[in-house]
Amino acid sequence: MNSLPARLAVFALVAAGPLLFVVAPIGSFLVMSFARVEGHQIINDMTLDNYVAFFGNWVYLKTFLLTLWLCAEVTLIGIVLGYPIAWFIWRRRARTRYLLLLLFVLPLFMSYIVKIYTMRSILGLNGFLNQILVGSGILSAPSLVFLYNQGSILITMAVIFLPFVILPIFLSLERIPRNLVQASADLGAGAGTTFRHVVLPLSLPGTIAGGLFAFVLALGDFITPQMVGGPSGFTIGRVIWSQFGLAYNWPFGAAMGAVLFLFALAVIVVAGSIASRQRV
Amino acid sequence: MTASRKSTSGLTRRQALAFGAAALATPFVIRGARAAGDFRILTWEGYAEPEWVKPFEEKHGVKTSVVYAGSVDEMFAKMQGSQGADFDVVAFDTSSFARYIDASLIRPLDLSKVPNAANLLPAFHAVAPLMRGKDQYGVPFAWGSLPLVYDKAAFPTAPDSWSVMWDPANAQKIIALDDANNSIVLAAILLGFKDPFHLTDEQFDKVKEKLIEQKKLLLTYYAGFDDGVAIFAQSGIKAMFSMGEPQVPGLKAKGVDAAFVIPKEGAIGWLDCWTVSAGTKDVDLAHAWVDACLDRKVGAYLSDKKSYGNTTDGDANTRNGFTYADKLVWLQTPENFEKRIAVWNEVKAAP
Repeated sequence: MNSLPARLAVFALVAAGPLLFVVAPIGSFLVMSFARVEGHQIINDMTLDNYVAFFGNWVYLKTFLLTLWLCAEVTLIGIVLGYPIAWFIWRRRARTRYLLLLLFVLPLFMSYIVKIYTMRSILGLNGFLNQILVGSGILSAPSLVFLYNQGSILITMAVIFLPFVILPIFLSLERIPRNLVQASADLGAGAGTTFRHVVLPLSLPGTIAGGLFAFVLALGDFITPQMVGGPSGFTIGRVIWSQFGLAYNWPFGAAMGAVLFLFALAVIVVAGSIASRQRV
Repeated sequence: MTASRKSTSGLTRRQALAFGAAALATPFVIRGARAAGDFRILTWEGYAEPEWVKPFEEKHGVKTSVVYAGSVDEMFAKMQGSQGADFDVVAFDTSSFARYIDASLIRPLDLSKVPNAANLLPAFHAVAPLMRGKDQYGVPFAWGSLPLVYDKAAFPTAPDSWSVMWDPANAQKIIALDDANNSIVLAAILLGFKDPFHLTDEQFDKVKEKLIEQKKLLLTYYAGFDDGVAIFAQSGIKAMFSMGEPQVPGLKAKGVDAAFVIPKEGAIGWLDCWTVSAGTKDVDLAHAWVDACLDRKVGAYLSDKKSYGNTTDGDANTRNGFTYADKLVWLQTPENFEKRIAVWNEVKAAP
């Protein structure tokens, strides 16, 4: 089994999957981004026109920047909500801990579209939230302000992506040796000091990973903004989406997809390098 | 039953083989006359139902294979992939014809081979987008509209104009379809532009302005058929730019007393047509299929059972409420799709 051909064969077998299902599709859309449409044919003559068109189009560029801002907000909300939850789960006793964790990641077993509809039925005019507010007398009539605006995009995305934030934070907390926390207490540090100087720094890689998940997922999400964002639910994902279908401008769509992909990749690399410096 | 079983069991192996071969040979002889067997149909669900596929198969001794497309794009890709050679007949709507004709994927019809074309109602004679010079490339089959749907509780009498969709009094109580071309065509119709499918830059600017004006009043755009119904029912909506008549029963099922109207300015109509693939293996058979689809019984079935307007049976249209074909503007291929997408994106991105 250790002969060179055998090892090469094993490598080829193992590499075939990722090559076929990851590298090839991404490569093909990168190639597509240098093509152009003439009549109804896609002609590949390695042009940069699509990129020039995107960076020269202020409407699209502005949409891209606003989308980045939106994703940054989702990331922040995700971490602010997700970190305390992960920490709370981590502090439970072993038996309840995994049960709680399971409860919080349970939404991952549910279809993403179903979750959007659920958020809609909570935030909508006849929704759960309005029923509570009207029922308790806080509002005199149901309000439209909870849905179909920028705020509802943030809430919905944060809720949908929360399990992706909680899991890596929890895992990094779980990896902190208990004796480090005990040693900190033995040396006279209060709970707050221990958290600031021991727990928080050691859980930072997981927190960055969780935030990264939220950011990248939000960046690629063109359905949530459309479904809960109302007239303001227009993101770069929608611009890309609009180039397919009847528009049949796949090369331009691919070019914008490539910009989005490279940007996400850059964020991952930068965040990854920050996280790796924080390793124990 | 007993007798037949007995006789079957009484066959010798040789006899059984000979009998089997003869039984198999019969359809093969018929099929041999038709190049490589199946008659291949590419269409939307609902357009190749057993009610007319079965009689067609029996009459011509062929087996049909039906492929349903999920989207306009998918259909075009399937045709383009084989330059039409994978299918004998196709059905799609008037707005795609220019694209298919330009790509040489379909062929002009020989109407002398489609005697049932005489059944076509007056509104469906010589529909402009189907013509290229003197050649007719398709025959109309099924149609519907993108009407104004409203809540009768909010409008005891039907609104007679699309202007309700621009009325500040209805702010946050109206929703519109999220679709570049349909939105632009409707706005162009309302602005009174003669040809809503070929707009000048100046007209595009006015359309954009009109759509941004509406955007400020919309609760939201909706993405699909059921999505529109759900938002309408859940959000106390008064009126919407609808994707089609069947949204009304959808709303009624959710307890909204809804109705639709074709306002005085008119409305967009879609018109699906049968056409013959450039790559058909049997031109006559393909025409025979088109002819079979123009049978009045097929038209009646479409309207009675599938809730589509039909093009051949006027009575069936009337009894199902499809009486407004003459008020509709049939979709055409627009001057420049890219431009329309860009304009729509500018509307969507407007603050």
